[in-house]
Amino acid sequence: MAVTTDGLRKTHIPMLDELLGGGMPEGTSILFTAMPGVASDVFGYQIAAERMKNDGDLCLIYTNTKAPVEIEHTFQRYGWDLRKSLDTERAFFIDSISPMMGVPAIGKYVVNDLKDSENVVKNAIPDVAGGTAVIEDVATLLDTIGVDQTFDLIRQLNEAARANDVNILYLFTRWNYEEAMIERLSGIVDCEVKLFSIEEKVIYRQVFAVAKSNWVKTSKIKIFFEVMEPGGVRVFIPKVLVTGPYNAGKTTFTHAIAPNTVSVERQTYELFPTTVGLDIGHIDYKGFSADVFGTPGQERFDLLLEPLGREAIGTFIVVDSTKPETFVRAKEMIRMCRTEAIPKVIIANKSDLPNALSPEEINKKMALWEDVSIVPVSAMNKDGLDQALDTLFNLIYRV
Amino acid sequence: MIPKIASGISGLDELTGGLPDNTMTLVYGPPKTGKSIFCYQFLRQSVAEDDLCMYLMTDYNLSQLEAQMMAFDWFIAEYIAKKKLYVIDTASGSVGATQKEMKNMMISFPQNPTDIVSKVIQELQSIYQETQRFRSVLDSSTTLFAFNSPILMIRVLKSYTMRIKMAGGTGIITYTEGAAEPQIETMLKATVDNIIHLDGEEMTIEAMAGLKHTDIGYQITDAGIAVG
Repeated sequence: MAVTTDGLRKTHIPMLDELLGGGMPEGTSILFTAMPGVASDVFGYQIAAERMKNDGDLCLIYTNTKAPVEIEHTFQRYGWDLRKSLDTERAFFIDSISPMMGVPAIGKYVVNDLKDSENVVKNAIPDVAGGTAVIEDVATLLDTIGVDQTFDLIRQLNEAARANDVNILYLFTRWNYEEAMIERLSGIVDCEVKLFSIEEKVIYRQVFAVAKSNWVKTSKIKIFFEVMEPGGVRVFIPKVLVTGPYNAGKTTFTHAIAPNTVSVERQTYELFPTTVGLDIGHIDYKGFSADVFGTPGQERFDLLLEPLGREAIGTFIVVDSTKPETFVRAKEMIRMCRTEAIPKVIIANKSDLPNALSPEEINKKMALWEDVSIVPVSAMNKDGLDQALDTLFNLIYRV
Repeated sequence: MIPKIASGISGLDELTGGLPDNTMTLVYGPPKTGKSIFCYQFLRQSVAEDDLCMYLMTDYNLSQLEAQMMAFDWFIAEYIAKKKLYVIDTASGSVGATQKEMKNMMISFPQNPTDIVSKVIQELQSIYQETQRFRSVLDSSTTLFAFNSPILMIRVLKSYTMRIKMAGGTGIITYTEGAAEPQIETMLKATVDNIIHLDGEEMTIEAMAGLKHTDIGYQITDAGIAVG
């Protein structure tokens, strides 16, 4: 496929256009592969809605999981007006769900038997020449008409889309299918965008990444996103929290991993200078990007911990390896940040001091309710920082 | 010793010590053998122990559940008011009802398993903030099998079971015997940890950790399922 930067059609998904070098070449296919529980429909709908609004695209939506009225409601919740496009025949449904539900079908085309999907959609694609087609959901096709027939359908639809300059978007909920089948599926589309979860016992964040593209070199960049109603896909910069007891060396550690950190602090006239505001910095490390927030350790600032913890994707809990009497406080802070459910790494700081406890001793003394990685660090000497970052990012992304 | 949680069915709990903690139990049998009543009793036990419960209902809505339980003199209004009950209702979704959703009261659609699992995960996020130990009910998977490709449903139930257990839950899934092909039933049984069969007269524990295959007589009375 020719590499062109002009003539690319925008997806209007923030950051996705950047990752795709500007957008999609006309007539290409994108497969959105989503882990169960991660929103995928919004990606298809957002591209369709924004392209209809901004680029005057015609659009078709093939559905075998959602009733057309339900899709209309979903558009509405995101703040996009599908009704007007339906009324003016700028958009239409290919309804293959209503017959199965035993209710009257809504749409320009009706599929009574999923096996007929290929022919019906293929014949409908010229109706939206130069526009967008959304196909939902590939999983239902795979498990109903079979793998070979589904692959055949995708190949045929891609061909029809290419011939009619239609961008075709497949939404696919990735249940426990065989890896080999999923790879083959990725092989028959022009581009695959993977949507996956960041989890620790429960899913708490969603991420997308371009896994494959025929027109642009893919990077390993992962984009955190959330779905707003209204608004659709919004990206955000992940936050990493640095917390821990008073005088454990949080500010030193934060500055060490994020050298441009600004300390919003006021010097206190105590024995040690201490952070009474926040340390705020940014790290770019091996393709991962995150804002870093260092919290004060004193109890009177505990109110700050919960809202910061709620926003965080990972936490460093910094403890002073030479002060086991502060470990109870560290445990209490883990609880207050509500970080039980997000990845965390304990930074055993001041590990260069002669009386520093080993990670094993700290683990034993802290008596944590689960396995938490403990990394010995000397923030002062900048020792162990890479290992600390690797450990946390590995937990977050499960790379 | 395997940690157990009480099922709420007294004879059964005396015999087995309860359901193994953090496992999924399949309760299956022909129609009208007490599968839903089993779920109500499990929920009632959840009320008694002040546990959180995630209830995925496919054939009745919340007020119908409340009414059905009231017939046994079991009351859940206060439990609901305390936001201990997390509902995913696909029965209302199937008739096109739309209502304002809350974080513990969600509507989904029987023919859209992607949406169901996504609602389950949203509720688990809230539940996990509250507790690492809760109960779950899915009554009934039969309806979901009717609306979806059976093999797809097996994938969905695997994903559902994994999510519940990862978050610390102990759950029940009901299924009407004969609703799907025998090989699908075999796969369904392989998805869960414990299997209880009801035939209207006998309750058979077909599989449960640390327990032999056991048959016990039961009746459905004004006080629910009475074992022995």
